[in-house]
Amino acid sequence: MTGLALAPRNTLWSRLRRRPGATLAMAAIAISVLVAIAAPLLALRDPFSGSAASLLPPLSPGHPLGTDHLGRDLWSQLVYGARVSLAVGILAAASAVLIGTAIGAIAGYVGGVLDNALMRLAEFFQTLPRFVLAIVTIAFFGSSVLHVIIVIAILSWPQTARLVRAGVITLRSAAFVEAARLGGKSDTAIVVREILPNVIAPIVVTGSLDVAAAILLEAGLGFFGLGDPNLVSWGGMLNQAQQYLRQAWWMSVFPGLAITVVVLAFNLLGDALNDALNPRLRDAP
Amino acid sequence: MTHRSFLRRLLTGTVLAGTTLLAATNLSAQTRGGTAVIVIDSDPETLNAAITTGNAPGDIGAKLFEGLVWVDPDYKPQPSLATQWTVSQDQKTYTFTLRRGVKWHDGRDFSSADVKFTYDEALAKLHPRTQTTLRRLAPEIETPDANTVVFKLKETYAPFINIQTPFEAPMIPRHVYAGSDIKANTANEKPIGTGPFKFAEWNRGQAVRLVRNDAYWEAGKPYLDALVFQIIPQGPNRSTALETGEVDFLYQFYVSRPDVKRLADNNRIQAKRGSATPAVYFLMMNTARPALATKEARQALATAINRDLQVAQAMDGHARPGYGAFGDGFPWLVNADAAYAKKYPLDPSKAKALLDQAKVAPNTTLNLVFDPARPMFNAGGQIIRDNLRQVGLNVNLVPLERSVMIQKVFTERDFDLTLQSFSSSGDPSIGYHRIYLTNETRAQFLNASGYSNKAVDDLLGQAATAADQATRARLYREAQGILNEDVPTLVLYDEVGTDLASRKLNGLWKGVDGRDRWSEVWMTR
Amino acid sequence: MGPHELALLTLRRLVAAIPLVIGVVVVNFTLIQLAPGDPTTALIGDYPAPPGYVEQVRAEFGLDRPIPEQLGRYLWQVGHGNLGYSFAHRKDVGELILERLPATLRLMLTALAIAIVLGVGLGILAARRRDSPLDHGTRLFSMTGYSVPEFWLGQILILVFALGLDLLPSQGARSLRAPPEGFAAFLDGLRYLALPAFALSLRYIALISRITRASLLEVMNADYILASRARGARERTVLLAHALRNAAPPIVTAIAYDFGFVLAGSALIETVFGWPGIGRLLFESITRRDYPVMTAILLFVSLGVVLANLIADLFHAALDPRVRRP
Repeated sequence: MTGLALAPRNTLWSRLRRRPGATLAMAAIAISVLVAIAAPLLALRDPFSGSAASLLPPLSPGHPLGTDHLGRDLWSQLVYGARVSLAVGILAAASAVLIGTAIGAIAGYVGGVLDNALMRLAEFFQTLPRFVLAIVTIAFFGSSVLHVIIVIAILSWPQTARLVRAGVITLRSAAFVEAARLGGKSDTAIVVREILPNVIAPIVVTGSLDVAAAILLEAGLGFFGLGDPNLVSWGGMLNQAQQYLRQAWWMSVFPGLAITVVVLAFNLLGDALNDALNPRLRDAP
Repeated sequence: MTHRSFLRRLLTGTVLAGTTLLAATNLSAQTRGGTAVIVIDSDPETLNAAITTGNAPGDIGAKLFEGLVWVDPDYKPQPSLATQWTVSQDQKTYTFTLRRGVKWHDGRDFSSADVKFTYDEALAKLHPRTQTTLRRLAPEIETPDANTVVFKLKETYAPFINIQTPFEAPMIPRHVYAGSDIKANTANEKPIGTGPFKFAEWNRGQAVRLVRNDAYWEAGKPYLDALVFQIIPQGPNRSTALETGEVDFLYQFYVSRPDVKRLADNNRIQAKRGSATPAVYFLMMNTARPALATKEARQALATAINRDLQVAQAMDGHARPGYGAFGDGFPWLVNADAAYAKKYPLDPSKAKALLDQAKVAPNTTLNLVFDPARPMFNAGGQIIRDNLRQVGLNVNLVPLERSVMIQKVFTERDFDLTLQSFSSSGDPSIGYHRIYLTNETRAQFLNASGYSNKAVDDLLGQAATAADQATRARLYREAQGILNEDVPTLVLYDEVGTDLASRKLNGLWKGVDGRDRWSEVWMTR
Repeated sequence: MGPHELALLTLRRLVAAIPLVIGVVVVNFTLIQLAPGDPTTALIGDYPAPPGYVEQVRAEFGLDRPIPEQLGRYLWQVGHGNLGYSFAHRKDVGELILERLPATLRLMLTALAIAIVLGVGLGILAARRRDSPLDHGTRLFSMTGYSVPEFWLGQILILVFALGLDLLPSQGARSLRAPPEGFAAFLDGLRYLALPAFALSLRYIALISRITRASLLEVMNADYILASRARGARERTVLLAHALRNAAPPIVTAIAYDFGFVLAGSALIETVFGWPGIGRLLFESITRRDYPVMTAILLFVSLGVVLANLIADLFHAALDPRVRRP
């Protein structure tokens, strides 16, 4: 990732819009965010309100997607579930990006022993088996959403850190940075104001991919029964569906599709951003 | 010939004729050969059934090992390694006569020394459940000759003969284990028993294979050539495997409840409904918490929680709604006058009134702790949360991995409500007293509600040692009168298990436990 | 880069990996030990343990010692090639893992083979018809494969192929009732491998096809390809000979970097399909609180990641003479 100068916003935007995948992805993300925000309006009833009418198939009166084993409305669960999946995905990725950016910037700017130590640390975290450690931690320490976000963030920052460090090292001795330094700006100001805005592109790309990975990880934890049962989440819905796969395919298919679509959207967006920002491919015929 | 002896001869003759007839019809149909595949859910921790209560070792062990007796579907003991037994007048001395000519799988003779060794060194020290019983009974075991074993107990204990099964007291060979560390002996991976099947191989993560014991003491048995215990970790996948014919037998513990109806309707599958061992599932309330300290508050919960919905949805119908403090798995002890159905019919408005009376503030939050590996607790917790919301209480579901759950609930008692299930292990005195007896210790799977009632303790204490069932029934009814009023623990339902098997298998369920008596099972081919 | 330099690089990387691996062991061990809950509870079963029994079990496994001492003992043991003794299996952990490892390797390698064949194939297709509907379709397919939760996919595959169409077995690694011999056993094994290996491979099909496509696009426009095309070589030969050679290093790097994910994915897939590998062993050991097995498998996975990275580096170095590490 060498071409770090961010393309002017409008160019990036138009470049993104030219890609059908990116447009679709952004539309899907926008819709899912809207659904999450408007969940109370879109839900037909309280997602936790049970009834004796369990395992109703889709298109049943009052239950467009049917009901689960406890007679709860699946559509209402699906729209509320968007909140947890997106919140966990976005917050965990944002935290990972923040941690990664801070560590990467410090390592790249300060250099020397500290750089070496921090990069060893990053390497160490990349060696840890992420999903497995997440399962162990959540299983033993308890499954609140906060725990899930923290665990995903702690296990996901190294990628961003490496990219930011690489960017910072390239720009450290650039002319405009030298100028700022001579102008008497503090190191923090130089990093934050001068350097970081120029490495934002790879951060955005990994950030988008991190959201996708975090949503998948959260779903995986939920699938193994490690989600927070006080909230509706798509992974948790899949966990319950497991037992009823043969009786009620709808309990598994809808949340599974929802996860796939949202994860796909963030992956496509990251991919499109990468292409749009990557000068080598951009210049290719 | 007197009238009486004629009658006797007539009767004996009829019985004999009946037996022969029965034997003849059986004989004509039974065929040798075939391999049956039985499901287990994970690798057994050991194949030495005398030192564990794990499910998989119990399943496999019941085919490899034998007890002195086996128990028939009417709970009557039948001869196995012992051919007969006598009980002394004071009910404290049991004399067993052992079967002659029984050989261990390695060809050595089985004798009374093996029984004494198994009891003294394995069951009394290492079997997690039986050692608790034996600690109290402190049996002195004598072996006057190779085929006689005498147990002298310190206390009377009504179910003593009925615990001589391959699950509670399987016999292991002295010549293999004597002088070694029983837990680390390599024979635990290649077990030697006296049972109808011999160990053949163990592919970890995959299967344990047993083959026919050609030298089995019962001539002509077993019928099957081999048994394979296939490991399938996920419930729904076990159902699928039975449907596709990949496996032949699903013991109730491994059955995924939502699938039972579909499987039982399949004409290639046979089902047997009914649990060998009653077990209750319940909501234990921490009476040390102010909100649950009063009996009115606990009664409010009993009135607000929909037990029928628990049965229908958390157990997919495979249960009977909570009857009272000991459920209704032992029909001889229930107290119909104090039944929940009478005292606590579902009534949210009455529950609200009771909460007001108990001065429990609206929107009080209660933490409900459970082990999320149990599907019925996940569903049950959601139902309780929904039920209690209707009466103005917030329930915070706290799923905790099993060993953390044990620590929170039993060691620290840091919970308001908890979902648990206890097995009776065949008698209320073994499995159910611990739900209510005053418990000062912090040991796991005992009363953690903090409830302590001298009257209940006394009644249950007497019920444990009383030898006569009518007396015991009276004591239990009296105890239920108190416990159903105080509800420190609300019994949600009695489990109803269902064993499922391929129709190709015949002669199943000869014992009270479907895992036992596989020497009788044969396969249509 | 000569063999001598390669050996030196290997050695240097291995030495650098030692503190890394020790760190992984320490973190795993400490994390597991700090967690609330007690492994003895899992050993005892659903029945109140008699007084003294818990202490007996704790002493038996050395759990009554202070944590630093347990950690020290553990590191010393591992240093001597002893991975400890499993609580739940009452067996040496090393033996246990070695028994289970072949099944996991079989699943992973099959999945990788599928992924390489299909991934490279799709990548070539997409690159040759750049921006055609075929290209977009392939990319969307591979992206979807990358986004689908594999455990869910596994369930759906069972639903369709094992239950619906009754084509393939859903559980286990071979027929148990009447185990076939010889070539029939091989075919039998393939039937059991089909669903789990495909479910596991989807992510790598996606990864590999993307990299192949990108590398091909880059290389096809490079001068030497244009040159060799100008010399009249058949286009397919050009693609295979030059482009794939250049696509190989990033593919290997990506697979190596993703190694931890393959293992994690394999753990999920093994659980869904009842596959007798170490992934499922890991889940079983988590539910049974079998610390020695958990720590040992985490160690194995971490070692696997380190080794995979090393292999990727060596591969890179061997294929691409421009790469010389400082």
